[in-house]
Amino acid sequence: MTATKVPDSNISGDGVREALTLQMQKLDKRTKIRAAVVILLLAFCLLLLPSIVSGYYVIALTQVAVYAILALGLGVLVGRVGLVSLGQAAVLALGAWVAARILFATSLPYPLVLLASGMITMVLGTLVGLPALRMRGLYLALITLMLAGAITTVLATTNFPNGAAGFLGYNSNTITIPAIRRPSIATSDTAFLRYSIVVAILMFLLVVWHLRSKPGRAWAAIRQSEASALAAGINTTRYKLWAFALASFLAGIAGGLLAGADRFLYSYDFQTQDSITLLAVVLMGGVYNIWGAVIAALFMQLLPAILNQIGVSPYWLTVLFGIGALQVLTTAPAGIVDQMPKDLARLGRFIFRQFRRPATSEGGVQ
Amino acid sequence: MPSWQDFQPFLITGLALGGVYALSGVGMVVLFRATGVLNLSFGAVGAMGALIAWQAINGWGLPQGIAWLICVLFAAVVTTVYGLIFGNALAKRDPLVKATATLGFALLLLGVMDLLWTTSGGASRSISLPTDNSGFMISGINIDWTQVIGLALGLVITIATTLFLRYTKLGTAMRAMASDREITAMLGVPVNRVLAAAWFGCGVLAGVSGLLLADLVALDATTLTFLVISSVAAALIGQLRSIAVTFVAAVVIGVITSMITPIQSITNYANMTPFVLAVIALLVISGRQTISLERGGI
Repeated sequence: MTATKVPDSNISGDGVREALTLQMQKLDKRTKIRAAVVILLLAFCLLLLPSIVSGYYVIALTQVAVYAILALGLGVLVGRVGLVSLGQAAVLALGAWVAARILFATSLPYPLVLLASGMITMVLGTLVGLPALRMRGLYLALITLMLAGAITTVLATTNFPNGAAGFLGYNSNTITIPAIRRPSIATSDTAFLRYSIVVAILMFLLVVWHLRSKPGRAWAAIRQSEASALAAGINTTRYKLWAFALASFLAGIAGGLLAGADRFLYSYDFQTQDSITLLAVVLMGGVYNIWGAVIAALFMQLLPAILNQIGVSPYWLTVLFGIGALQVLTTAPAGIVDQMPKDLARLGRFIFRQFRRPATSEGGVQ
Repeated sequence: MPSWQDFQPFLITGLALGGVYALSGVGMVVLFRATGVLNLSFGAVGAMGALIAWQAINGWGLPQGIAWLICVLFAAVVTTVYGLIFGNALAKRDPLVKATATLGFALLLLGVMDLLWTTSGGASRSISLPTDNSGFMISGINIDWTQVIGLALGLVITIATTLFLRYTKLGTAMRAMASDREITAMLGVPVNRVLAAAWFGCGVLAGVSGLLLADLVALDATTLTFLVISSVAAALIGQLRSIAVTFVAAVVIGVITSMITPIQSITNYANMTPFVLAVIALLVISGRQTISLERGGI
């Protein structure tokens, strides 16, 4: 159904309408194909993938699901609203702490615990954001870096709950530390991976819903120009805070999943550096597209697992992320999710041309 | 509550640390004012310089003086190269983008350091300056010369920078650049050369503070890279503008961090000092006004 040329002579009336309908159909078809591909991919990840990979990669992929949720929140902040947080990994640690504490203290069903840790983290994150939002970008980024440092320091002292009593739920004398419980329907690693993917899909839907409705439009306006947004009657502070709250909520949910995935949490697993690495991979993945979050999570969690298995030092990744962040900031602001299809299309066109000599200019894909 | 006697040595350590934080903080503020770049790779550059100096002494058997020189030179050259490539490429971008890019650079250096000087085997390194072993006593407190150098250098650099910006031709050019880059270029100031000089100066300070912090705190890539946060906090309290306020803030941060250490109940939270102080300062500032990043004169 490609490029049926509109007759030049019949510009007005039927021709245009026909062309328009054709365009609509084409668009519709493309959307359908895209939806089908996404659903197939999700079905593959949900049904097939957990059962065909080894236990090692089941654990790694669970981390990918967790970090995709976290990266999604940061991506919304950076890409949609233009706010940079340098402390998102610390917020994840906070969410994990809250979830672990609730899981040890109560026997609430897991989804409720996730929701609670999301909500509590959201409130804490928003409290942080509230004063910071009055400041311009650089100051907000720095204040979040400071808070990430502060949270890391506090967690290093309080430690993660290990089943003891008291508010902190930690006792250094505990000899046998009980594992953090998992949902009853997902006690095995494989089942928990499926569970995490489902939660991640729900979170992605939540974000898509946000982007397609009022907040998404407000954010887009704020990113273009805060002054214009204000002039258009958008309550910029409220929507910036909303974005901050959403990102913190997602970090809280991710933290809740992380608690169940790791089962034993140690404060030295959470470093200030993680927040910066996270920002680097989110930038590399692409902040203007929600799929960038998945790429970011693959970078941050799957690549180290693969490198570890083939015996390459994970520090190469730190180097790669540094270079990647610099490259994205200087030349390719939309990240890999945008760059890759373009490069592939270019490659495709190139190959296509090699095989069909009389090169036409319409061989390209849009 | 420990007695005053217990606090005394920590006061000295704190003053020394504060002096070095001031050194870094002042370097950052000057670079920010001249180029609009908040250099968050300051600590990573210094750390790598210090590790190279360690390598030069312990691996290549070079004399200490040359090793320190290599450290400072390395830091200066790396910072200048970064500034000339990315400083220019990002010149027209938001300060936030510029600062984030330096974080990318810091990650890159951190990765390289972890690859070259692995810590996984429990290998611990240290750099000790000859000034560690000699010193003097004031009312029963041992003070070594490294600590004196730390504070004195911070003070000297703060004063020297202020004078430099006010009275030298290059300093005037930097202040002019801070006001308006285009007009400065129109006036015939070699903008790129002035920028390079600002980056070079910043790099020298990064190398010197890296060396001093490696001696005073620890020679560890991650620790040194993120110690820069204390200096950032000081620079923030100085609103990335005032060199004098940055110096005072850095010394206060150093002293409080250190003085909290002997108080048992909160000793673990000592490292939070810079964050807490910076956040409070920012809140106070933002309560009065919305901070503007528009750059005026120094």
